[in-house]
Amino acid sequence: MNLQHVLLRRFSILLILLFSCSHSMFAQDIAAGKALFMGKCASCHNVLKDGTGPALKGLEERHKWADHKELQAWINNPAAYMAKDPYTQGLKAKYGSMMTGFAEITLADVDNIVAYINDAAIVKVAPAAASGQAPEGDQNAVLFGIISLVLGVIALILMQVNSNLKRMSDEADGLKTPAPIPFYRRKSNIALMSIAFFVFGGFMVAKGAIGMGRQKDYQPEQPIYYSHKVHAGINQINCLYCHGNAWESKHAAIPSTNVCMNCHKAISTYEKGPKLFDEEGKEINGTAEIAKLYKYAGFDPSNPNQWDPSKAKPIEWVKIHNLPDHVYFNHAQHVRAGNVQCQSCHGEITAMDEVKQVADLSMGWCINCHRETKVNFNYDSTGGNKFYSLYEKFHNDIRNGKMDSVKVKDIGGLECQKCHY
Amino acid sequence: MKRISIFFGVLTTAVVLIGCSNVRRDPGTVYMPDMSYSRAYETYASTEALTQAGVNYTATPVSGTIARGEMAAYPYKNDSAGYAMSASVKNPLDVAAVDLKEAERLYLVNCGICHGKKLDGNGPLWNDGNGPYPSKPIALVGDAKYEAMAEGTMFHSLTYGKNAMGSYASQLSTKQRWMVITYVKSKQGAKAAAAAADSTAKSM
Ligand code: HEC
Ligand code: HEC
Ligand code: HEC
Ligand code: HEC
Ligand code: HEC
Ligand code: HEC
Ligand code: HEC
Repeated sequence: MNLQHVLLRRFSILLILLFSCSHSMFAQDIAAGKALFMGKCASCHNVLKDGTGPALKGLEERHKWADHKELQAWINNPAAYMAKDPYTQGLKAKYGSMMTGFAEITLADVDNIVAYINDAAIVKVAPAAASGQAPEGDQNAVLFGIISLVLGVIALILMQVNSNLKRMSDEADGLKTPAPIPFYRRKSNIALMSIAFFVFGGFMVAKGAIGMGRQKDYQPEQPIYYSHKVHAGINQINCLYCHGNAWESKHAAIPSTNVCMNCHKAISTYEKGPKLFDEEGKEINGTAEIAKLYKYAGFDPSNPNQWDPSKAKPIEWVKIHNLPDHVYFNHAQHVRAGNVQCQSCHGEITAMDEVKQVADLSMGWCINCHRETKVNFNYDSTGGNKFYSLYEKFHNDIRNGKMDSVKVKDIGGLECQKCHY
Repeated sequence: MKRISIFFGVLTTAVVLIGCSNVRRDPGTVYMPDMSYSRAYETYASTEALTQAGVNYTATPVSGTIARGEMAAYPYKNDSAGYAMSASVKNPLDVAAVDLKEAERLYLVNCGICHGKKLDGNGPLWNDGNGPYPSKPIALVGDAKYEAMAEGTMFHSLTYGKNAMGSYASQLSTKQRWMVITYVKSKQGAKAAAAAADSTAKSM
């Protein structure tokens, strides 16, 4: 009787062992498949998305691919396979480029790759992407507004109550008070108000007059909601990838449509980043914004190989920073020779969704920085200014203790004609 | 009654004030518009008005134009025959004289985002497959196929783009493209040598 029991137990242990064994073998398949896929296939194929080649999800349900021998034949030599196979000819017509052959792929490799693809096709539910929230500042402002409103109303009521109480107590004491003059007809009040009005009005007029033609905080709506935070912040794209001219010329330049398409030929959806909101707090659909880009580029994501970059239309971005014509400003002089960071003039661009002008671009702003900034003499191939290596005099003055450092103003940074044509 | 009207007056002004957003969507007025908004055509200005006025203006140079100081043009077209022949094109730069520091800067600005700081094909946009970019950028270092790739072929792919990768001809001049390739090649050799040294060290 016991024997049976023991046997059963042994058997079940065996079963479990077998199962776990096969399981670990299975896991190894996936790992090996992943390595192969990443090394050889991933530059053209994505499991879930079409790229240079088709998405490979659900591969075994298509064509004859359930038979891994067929698959191997295709991978080993796509050209030869395609010659007598209309299905893959159709794929070629759709995707344009020809798949490279991998003669070294064995049948076991194919099994592994397919195991990996099937595993990766099960979309792993991402832990709810750090859900962005509407900018908090606005809500705070509304809250403060409401609180101060309530306080104001209470103060008014209290003042009324106070004056009424005073009158009542005066009457009770039998004092004759003159009929109350409303506060807006009291002479002292009128005088005070008009002085305050003139001071305030004068201040506003002067401020407006100085600010006229300056556009600090200007933040226009752009034809495409393009976020610097997503690109230069979260995805760490270098400013010079798009604004490369800043290194070489006066203008930093706005990238042309083909530069956007370097990445967006492949990135057709917005899904990894946080939720986006515009300055009014309206939610933005990143994928729809990328679709706008495709419209300008004349790119049809379902038919990528028909794309002709030369037919792209320019995107009409709204210019934000704008110096008047009588000022000469040069980016290369500041960025390359002067080693000044973009952020010191443009603010924290990497945290802005929509670009906002941070400096007022007034003459005082330029001059102040030139008064305070030390010239970067430590020149090498990537920065610094060889030109000023000739300024022996400064070196001698510093040596003799006449100067402690050389500021931009000492090399001519305050001379009118350097900034004005 | 009066108090109620005061109350509502204050309430509406407050609501109007709060409702006003502080986002500045317009540039404001200027004293002298013709100084601020150039009457001459500026870098990005649309030339449509000229076209409409019948003025013949071409925004792009005549095809085949070579800029002053530009290197000799690349001879092959963007097709599979051109790709095949590109391998025979030699790097025209004097490799020993290339400023590798500047070349490295160009690589990090333009390529590192995909191909990685270490040229291993794992830049921030790919990030082991977790990044937002869906095609794996190839490993320029450590993959025998690309270690062996001719400089001319790399130049062809950089100039015209290759599959998922776009063309870099608008971001890098001919000379800069050759500089980047020189940099890539210098890394490939170095890494292979280091790996060889490493394995000999281990086997000893
Ligand atoms: C150079 C880019 C490239 C590489 C690398 C590549 N493929 Fe492909 N693949 C394609 C293209 C393009 C097609 C569509 C047919 C054509 O045009 O040749 C395709 C088609 C396929 C198909 C048929 C898909 C379907 O929808 O029926 C399979 C399966 C496939 N590839 C598997 C692989 C595997 C496995 C690897 C890695 C060992 C690989 N490919 C590497 C470009 C590539
Ligand atoms: C992926 C390309 C890309 C990258 C990377 C990028 N930008 Fe931009 N930038 C643009 C585009 C497109 C515009 C025009 C649309 C706009 O103003 O939002 C722009 C506009 C700007 C403007 C306003 C220009 C004007 O009209 O006055 C500034 C300033 C700027 N970028 C600075 C930066 C800085 C600093 C960085 C690096 C932290 C950076 N950009 C990175 C594409 C890019
Ligand atoms: C170096 C690669 C790269 C370049 C160049 C690039 N992008 Fe992007 N773009 C990305 C990445 C990465 C994302 C984020 C995708 C995600 O998170 O799923 C993105 C997201 C977007 C989005 C959706 C999010 C948002 O900002 O609203 C838009 C729209 C967009 N890009 C437009 C552009 C435009 C216009 C240009 C050209 C000025 C451009 N991109 C150039 C890589 C790039
Ligand atoms: C010393 C201050 C300063 C620095 C540093 C600086 N900028 Fe600017 N930037 C300006 C000014 C001023 C303008 C307005 C130029 C005009 O209207 O002529 C401007 C304009 C721009 C524009 C609008 C297009 C154009 O070229 O007029 C872009 C884009 C831009 N900057 C990007 C950058 C980037 C990227 C960097 C860093 C590599 C950078 N800037 C560094 C001051 C600066
Ligand atoms: C963040 C600091 C900063 C700001 C703001 C700034 N500059 Fe400069 N500027 C510099 C530095 C640093 C240099 C020296 C660069 C070098 O090493 O040659 C310089 C040099 C110059 C020169 C060349 C001077 C010479 O002797 O050759 C001109 C012209 C100039 N700036 C114009 C401007 C204008 C116009 C503005 C305002 C729109 C401005 N700068 C704002 C830092 C600044
Ligand atoms: C560092 C660069 C720089 C130098 C040096 C400089 N300016 Fe300016 N100047 C500017 C800028 C930028 C503006 C535009 C300010 C604006 O648009 O509000 C300006 C504007 C002006 C204006 C128009 C009034 C105004 O504020 O808009 C006058 C007049 C002027 N400058 C005179 C001079 C004189 C005279 C000198 C020599 C003592 C001089 N500037 C030196 C950068 C400079
Ligand atoms: C937006 C991402 C991205 C950027 C930026 C990028 N590449 Fe690529 N690169 C790729 C991808 C993806 C491939 C694989 C293309 C294929 O064969 O399907 C590739 C392939 C290549 C190849 C092999 C081409 C061939 O003929 O097979 C070379 C060489 C190369 N890149 C060099 C560079 C250099 C140099 C830069 C910088 C100037 C650069 N890449 C920038 C994504 C990128």
